[in-house]
Amino acid sequence: MSIFDRRYEMMARDELRQMQLERLQALLVRLKRNVRRYREKIGDLRVASLADLARLPFTTPEDMAESFPYGMLAFPLREVIRLHSTVGPEGKPLVIGHTRNDLVQWSRLVARQLVAAGVTANDVIQICMGGYVYPGASGYVLGAELIEASVIAEEPCHMDYQLAMLQNYRPTILITTPTNALELARTIQQRRLDPQSLHLRTVLLSRPVEQETRAQLAAGLFAAVKCNFGLGEILDPGLCLECEAGQFHVPEDQFLAEACEGELVISTLAREAMPLLRYRTRVACELHHDQCACGRTGAVLKPGRRLDQRSCVNERPLYAAQVAAVLAHTKAAGHPFHLEAVDRRLVVSIEVTEGLFADTTQFIANLKPDIESEFLARLGIEAEVRFVEPRLRSKTRSET
Amino acid sequence: MLLQVINLSCGYGSLEVVHGLSLHVCAGEIVGLLGANGAGKSSLLKAIVGLLPPWQGDVRVDGRQFRGQPAWRSISNSMVLVPEGKMIFADMTVHENLLMGGYHNPDRSLQLEIVLDRFPRLRERIKQLGGTLSGGEQQMLALGRALMARPRMLLLDEPSLGLAPLLVKEVFSEILKMKTLGVTVLLVEQNAVATLQIADRAYVMETGEITLEGAASDLLHNPEVKRAYLGKRRNEVWE
Repeated sequence: MSIFDRRYEMMARDELRQMQLERLQALLVRLKRNVRRYREKIGDLRVASLADLARLPFTTPEDMAESFPYGMLAFPLREVIRLHSTVGPEGKPLVIGHTRNDLVQWSRLVARQLVAAGVTANDVIQICMGGYVYPGASGYVLGAELIEASVIAEEPCHMDYQLAMLQNYRPTILITTPTNALELARTIQQRRLDPQSLHLRTVLLSRPVEQETRAQLAAGLFAAVKCNFGLGEILDPGLCLECEAGQFHVPEDQFLAEACEGELVISTLAREAMPLLRYRTRVACELHHDQCACGRTGAVLKPGRRLDQRSCVNERPLYAAQVAAVLAHTKAAGHPFHLEAVDRRLVVSIEVTEGLFADTTQFIANLKPDIESEFLARLGIEAEVRFVEPRLRSKTRSET
Repeated sequence: MLLQVINLSCGYGSLEVVHGLSLHVCAGEIVGLLGANGAGKSSLLKAIVGLLPPWQGDVRVDGRQFRGQPAWRSISNSMVLVPEGKMIFADMTVHENLLMGGYHNPDRSLQLEIVLDRFPRLRERIKQLGGTLSGGEQQMLALGRALMARPRMLLLDEPSLGLAPLLVKEVFSEILKMKTLGVTVLLVEQNAVATLQIADRAYVMETGEITLEGAASDLLHNPEVKRAYLGKRRNEVWE
């Protein structure tokens, strides 16, 4: 069993609770002093014990969106050396800043995850997100460099190149998205290649998948399959690690996790640039502190479905409001539509109402590629546009 | 955890100077507590050992409640405070000073030899009056006197105060050696760089509250530490 940081990962629960209380108290002081939004929210509240946590106010994704871009920074922008962005409610952008120390902590957390997945300094890691610019990829690079594993710093877009790299560089670890991993396994099968010839030992997926998909990938790529669970607003990867026993552990020296009415709520205990107090993640979860066979003492998390309207297309988060915003730049602006994710594509079914109806079919025929190229240009998503009659409205329809 | 402080508040008269503060020290660690003048560091140490009555909160030694007990009890818990300004007995010899440190210890002659081996300079000056020692030697004497009680934990209050930089280095190297004796140290200091170089972990204290906690190596280059112990505001650090 490999553990990167025994002191923190296997810390006795009573010491961990004491450290969480200390860090929570210090977090409150820093937030009150440095972030106006929190100063107004927290007021004179103090915590005497972790039981007082429930009295503290929540932070919502809407708070982050309203504070865009720098309103939640607890450090001067000059000391924030990395900015990542993600998509928040209604497609609004959210910014997450990191100081140098935050990046050091991030690298350690990712190293914990990689070591738990069996990665060593002898491994060669290929990070391949299938053309998707995944902000977390830089986190994997930091973590891999910390444990001195070799990282292939290329992102092959086409499946041919991906396969060529797997054959030429002989990576032992593949970090990728489930969509890409499944396509890779399909391609290997279609070309009648032997997955054993690829030398892969572990495939680390960017998000959790069903047991059935794991088994399919394990057989198709002839490798152990591990999953990541992260949240762009907090940390992805690094928020959790999957241990040898197949459990997701939260590094509780860094994050205080709660399950509030079934929703995962996270407080960042040690983050400098953008600490978050009781952030409502909009993800369903189960949390428990039962002893795990791996020896880690961090809470065990079972992430569930999303509780908001966020969908996922080719591993990218997507809100209906973003689709409406793209359509607003076309002649289909304001028309009702509904969405469906098929493989890596987004199928947008637009209802043809009187405003869109024209006496020539050429108008509709021209509109289709216009809208599709608009999706590619603005969201980086391959879209397929269909025009449907209003009576075919489905329940997932989104009004613009 | 050897020492556990939970939500401790204390003050003087009606003035609260430490506001609900928590910290812990594990056996074998050197933990630094940094902060500018007036941050409440010394008051916190006094409240831990019982010299200042805590207003609220808990102090636990080895998991046992210690809060509310008289200060002399801290010795029987093997916790010794080396106060700010050394506070040696100036009119007593080095030998007498050391014996005072082991007052409750029946094996003090044996412990005396251990301490004198640890600090050969004190052996050289064994008959000299404490008040005639140099600043660095007085600090060594204060450390030696504390070790006479065979402590498991030392609470050091600003041992570098008033010492020349070379002597500070010497004193800190002696503190680092405490680890090899199995003595745990809570080191209260304004000298952030020197402290973070020898400590395992550290807390940064500002106006009676902890604002930062972490591994000493992480805090060493943290601009927030500079702000805290220089007492500077965020926009002034860069000027």
